Amino acid sequence: MFSKKKPMWGKKTPLKSSYDVVLIGGGLHSLATAYYLAKEHGITDIAIIEKNYIGFGGAGRNTAIVRANQRTQYNVPLYKEALDLWPVLTKDLDYNLMFNNCGNLNLMHSEAAMKAARMTIATAQFHGVESHLIDAKEAKELVPALNISDDITFPIHGAMFHPPGGVVRHDAVVWGLARAAAEMGVQIHQQTEALDIGTRNGKVTSVTTSRGTINTKQVLISAGGYSAALIYDMLGIKLPISVLTIQAMVTQPLKPVLDHVVSSGAYHCYANQTLKGEIATGAHMDPWPNYTTLNTAHYIKHQAEALSEFLPCLRGVRFMRIWGGLADMTPDMAPIMDGDEQVEGFYMDCGWGYFGFKSCSAVGKYMAEFMATKKCPDILKPFALKRYEEHKLMGETAALVNYSPDN
Amino acid sequence: MALTITCPICGKRNGYEFRFGGEEKGPRPEENGLTPEAWCDYVHLNKCVAGVQEEWWFHKDGCGLWFTIQRDTTTNLEAETVSMSKLATENEEAEK
Ligand SMILES: Cc1cc2nc3c(=O)[nH]c(=O)nc-3n(C[C@H](O)[C@H](O)[C@H](O)COP(=O)(O)OP(=O)(O)OC[C@H]3O[C@@H](n4cnc5c(N)ncnc54)[C@H](O)[C@@H]3O)c2cc1C
Ligand SMILES: [Zn+2]
Repeated sequence: MFSKKKPMWGKKTPLKSSYDVVLIGGGLHSLATAYYLAKEHGITDIAIIEKNYIGFGGAGRNTAIVRANQRTQYNVPLYKEALDLWPVLTKDLDYNLMFNNCGNLNLMHSEAAMKAARMTIATAQFHGVESHLIDAKEAKELVPALNISDDITFPIHGAMFHPPGGVVRHDAVVWGLARAAAEMGVQIHQQTEALDIGTRNGKVTSVTTSRGTINTKQVLISAGGYSAALIYDMLGIKLPISVLTIQAMVTQPLKPVLDHVVSSGAYHCYANQTLKGEIATGAHMDPWPNYTTLNTAHYIKHQAEALSEFLPCLRGVRFMRIWGGLADMTPDMAPIMDGDEQVEGFYMDCGWGYFGFKSCSAVGKYMAEFMATKKCPDILKPFALKRYEEHKLMGETAALVNYSPDN
Repeated sequence: MALTITCPICGKRNGYEFRFGGEEKGPRPEENGLTPEAWCDYVHLNKCVAGVQEEWWFHKDGCGLWFTIQRDTTTNLEAETVSMSKLATENEEAEK
């Protein structure tokens, strides 16, 4: 990673003493913002400051699921645009992002859940996103491995079927965006930690890093799960965020058995079969905030129990690898994108929890527009931090979430 | 994610017996003259410290006590908590 060979996205560059724009965190959101700043706004004097290496955070740890069947009229258009961008980016980046639009099947385990799904589907359809309600028999026809019998903990009543969703190769997105951004002049500084943001008269003036101070008038913090701690530490701004470790794991490779992404809220479990044949499955978050990214036997057992109920053909299959990352959760399950508000020249893009991979393409595009024009694009306006003070929380979840073992 | 928590009544117990209750934020703000900012701050906003923080826990599968501990969020380990009796002796010693 840090060998003498030049990084695959371009030459190593010395850290300059000033940049037009500094982006803190080398994840997908910074990379995409840098890419669009350069490509669509001609702003190329950009430094991406990354403490470890690009893709160290959620960017390299996520389970790569993409979809656009969220619950509210604010989220759906943003995620739809992000979903529509994968084929475009594959071309523009000249990088195979391995978009596999195999479709998502979100299982429903009660009549109440089926009713809730009807509303979500109506929202999707209103926004031109393909999404249908199907019954248990139709779900079984799509995914023959499903157990639709009554004798499991949460019998399957039906599913929300979203054909255009699927999976994208997350590492390829990191590399493709990094290479394209670097080609346009963006500098990526790995093993460089952002330590502080300097301000004068309510305006950003500099960013202090472990390798020296950079003068700049615009800075974005989009450091995944680390954002909230950095924003409080550097600027004293508190956010409605809880940071929790979230784990995922893969089984040994199998012959093809699953050609959709299957997810279940009741089982707190989702799974898909990767192109290598492994079943990749994600778990719920740890029951209390922490930055450990450690794995627990608790979730290995939980995933095994859940999968062997609704996909019984997986009984006896072994897990090969398990890993953890961070999820920065907000009480309304929607992100915070804001800027030029608390401090002039300071922007933030965080609170993406366990859904910030699928959105990165469109968010990068609009955060770039926001920073280049200094005007918040309409599509981002509902995501401002002020919504919590104004009691305009988003309805991505029916009830406010309090991060504890009780939910 | 190993975690043990020291309940002031039951002592050191498995963390799964407890429910996390949020960061310690001081007393609930007075209703009189309460601003949306102050209420939002109390209800929603966190410091998300990567390090030692004071936080609330509820011994749900135990004695039912609500109490605060100091925990390092990067290791899940409880930080040394100074017991009241130890504090008292230290104060006495300081007075000598
Ligand atoms: C197990 C798991 C499964 C997930 N599954 C999905 C999924 O299926 N679909 C989906 O849409 N989303 C998913 N997510 C969420 C998604 O991965 C994140 O929301 C997203 O990657 C976060 O944005 P990012 O890539 O911009 O940031 P990250 O990749 O998290 O980048 C943050 C970067 O900031 C760096 N950093 C931290 N502190 C500093 C500092 N002081 N100075 C400089 N750099 C610093 C870190 O080293 C890190 O590289 C998942 C997450 C996890 C952990
Ligand atoms: Zn107790």
